[in-house]
Amino acid sequence: MSSTRYPWRDWAYPLIVIGAVLACWQAAVMAGWLRPISFPPPSKLAATFREIVTEGYPEGIGLATHVTITLQRIVLGYSAALALAIPLGLVIGWKPTLDALTDPVIAFGRSVATLSLLPLTVVWFGTGEGAKIFLIGYGCFWVMISNVIAAIKNVDPVLVKAARTMDVSGAALFRRVALPAALPRIFAGARVALGVGFMVIVGAEMIGTIRGLGALIMEARTFYRTDITMVGMAVIGAIGFAMAMGLQRLEAVLMPWQGREARRAT
Amino acid sequence: MGAIARSGAVPTISEGPASGKHSGRVGDTLVRIRIERVSKRFATDRPDAPPVLGDFSLAVRENEFVVLLGRSGCGKTTLLNIIAGLERASTGEVRVDDAVVTRPGEGKGVVFQQGALFPWLTAAGNVDFAARSRGVAASERAALCGELLDLVGLSGAQDKYPFELSGGMQQRVAIARALALDPHILLMDEPFGALDELTRIEMQNELLRVWAARRKTVVFVTHSIWEALMLADRILVMAPRPGRIVLDRHVALARPRSRTDSALLQLYESIWASLQ
Amino acid sequence: MTASIAAAGPSRRLLGLIGASCIVILWEASARLLGADAQVLPAPTQAIAAAWRNLSAAELAQHIGWSLWRILAGFALGGLAGVTLGVASGWYAWLARLVRPLVEMLRPIPPLAWIPLAIVWFGLGEPSKIFVIFLGAFFPIFTNAWRGMVSVPPVLLAAARTMDVDGPALLFKVALPAALPDISTGLRVGFGLSFGILVAAELIAAERGMGYLVMQSRQLGQLGVAVFAILLIGIVTLVADSALAALLRRWVGRRMPA
Repeated sequence: MSSTRYPWRDWAYPLIVIGAVLACWQAAVMAGWLRPISFPPPSKLAATFREIVTEGYPEGIGLATHVTITLQRIVLGYSAALALAIPLGLVIGWKPTLDALTDPVIAFGRSVATLSLLPLTVVWFGTGEGAKIFLIGYGCFWVMISNVIAAIKNVDPVLVKAARTMDVSGAALFRRVALPAALPRIFAGARVALGVGFMVIVGAEMIGTIRGLGALIMEARTFYRTDITMVGMAVIGAIGFAMAMGLQRLEAVLMPWQGREARRAT
Repeated sequence: MGAIARSGAVPTISEGPASGKHSGRVGDTLVRIRIERVSKRFATDRPDAPPVLGDFSLAVRENEFVVLLGRSGCGKTTLLNIIAGLERASTGEVRVDDAVVTRPGEGKGVVFQQGALFPWLTAAGNVDFAARSRGVAASERAALCGELLDLVGLSGAQDKYPFELSGGMQQRVAIARALALDPHILLMDEPFGALDELTRIEMQNELLRVWAARRKTVVFVTHSIWEALMLADRILVMAPRPGRIVLDRHVALARPRSRTDSALLQLYESIWASLQ
Repeated sequence: MTASIAAAGPSRRLLGLIGASCIVILWEASARLLGADAQVLPAPTQAIAAAWRNLSAAELAQHIGWSLWRILAGFALGGLAGVTLGVASGWYAWLARLVRPLVEMLRPIPPLAWIPLAIVWFGLGEPSKIFVIFLGAFFPIFTNAWRGMVSVPPVLLAAARTMDVDGPALLFKVALPAALPDISTGLRVGFGLSFGILVAAELIAAERGMGYLVMQSRQLGQLGVAVFAILLIGIVTLVADSALAALLRRWVGRRMPA
């Protein structure tokens, strides 16, 4: 969809559109068509951003603190989930019997709404970090294991056949052929799982805690600081975007054999 | 030119039932592949439908270039898979070098039509994979890979990934990789079927050149009559359901062959007629 | 690969049943053995018994009904907007240039993060929840619809043009059908997301619904009911998703290979 003759258009158009929307927004507030309580104008948002970075909200908790706490929770929960899901998923995906045994269980585990467990985690872990990390781990785990299993199961049969004609079978077949072939799809799963983890933590932080990005935007609403809520949302969005980009870069580095077409497909 | 053109009809070497003769020789030549009364029926076939392959017998001599020719669905690929050990025959047996075929590998090199190169390995990496599987020592592998890639005309492309190579180049790598196994036999399943006509002709010549340098027993599957005529020592035309041979001709013409050669054209007519 | 050697239909289902039963039995056994403290993790039987005791069928139906209504409303709106805008953006490049930057900018914001803002704009009642579900469904549906449209093989459009089919007819008779598989995928993804979002929204601010039920029963100390409600959400999600998949297969899958 990019214009090959004028590549700058790919940049310019989106910027112009977004700029125009922001300008209209600002104008509408100043003209009194939009209430600043519900639609804080971009000018206010810029100032608010500075405020939460320096002074913090609530009670002197700076933006950096919120971001750090949220990221910490994600990293812990996500790593734990992947550390469990990848080995298990590889084994299950490789052995059809195991796959048949676990398929309904995994499908159900995936369908249980992660956040519905929140009230229970309070009973099990108290109101500390454990509850939130568990929730993130839970959400990421089921998505990741489903993708790893699918990745192994869907290895191109031609590759397996070719390897077998070269006397490669069993564990060697798994290690040297199935695993590398499944890697792109496993990465795609890791990206999706990260997105899920991110969603979970933002939701989890909205209940019963004042530190973290989810807490930030929720607390702000309670005190009618819609501007803080919006800035917080923008920060959340930016972080989510950065994480996804980061993973994509990592993929490109670790899997140079893919070529851009294949990468875009996954 | 210097080639004396003979007409195509040379008596075929068809083997009767084994009846205790396991000497593995016919006349003076070693029989590399012996297919005895092989039939194949898929689990999904209706019991009264004719089988994919029916009571098929064949002996392929050492260093013979045999081409299986027929329409899609005549069983030629199934037969190749059975020889390779990738599929099991319903009845009968296949022997390669007098050993019954039970699984793939073990010196039966295969070149697939497409998509069999490991995408995460470079061209050299793919060839090395095969060498490693054979057990070649690490110190010798690099030299072997270089040599084979040179042989197929890809010396500059060692470090390219499959996605960077054209279809013709990918198939060259596939051939080099199969040769890295130092196989007893080479099985090729329509290896040039996915290429455009011009590249295809080029690859046929390349294959003949490589084969002249590394002689192997080859079983080659195709649906192209001209491809068969250009490459084969012996052409087996197959008809479907049940898969069977309807024509078995030796092509005793020196290579490279010319499309205007009258003997070849006569053979073309016979083959075309047998396919109707 | 291994999938092709995998057990055929019935034996695969049997194994699945065995696996699932093992988990349930394991859960039941460990919950009972680890001290009959139904306050930490009730066994499945205890959960069902608790629900039986404390919930009437009418109450349960009401909770499920409210949840489903919210999802359907949000999904319908999100689907309508997503498909319409996505298809239109895929067809008219100028519209895409207008719409896509805005959508792409808002997309990284998780739907749940919209909840506080939704409450500001719409209050604590139904509209705020439906709005968030709408958002959750909208983005994947829009993206898939747009991508489906721009991925229509140009050769199909060219062929149609040679048969004097152009303009709106080309859109509805050729492009849209060709994009249907991608649109269906988007619908399924969006629908699946809706449940997770719904639950979160109901946990935070609701007086009825399955998510609310979980929250309320825990607050009342009725852990059994809470577990029951959690399982219920999972089951309803599975059932609803299968229903949608079956529906889409009938309308779309029939005509196209996958």
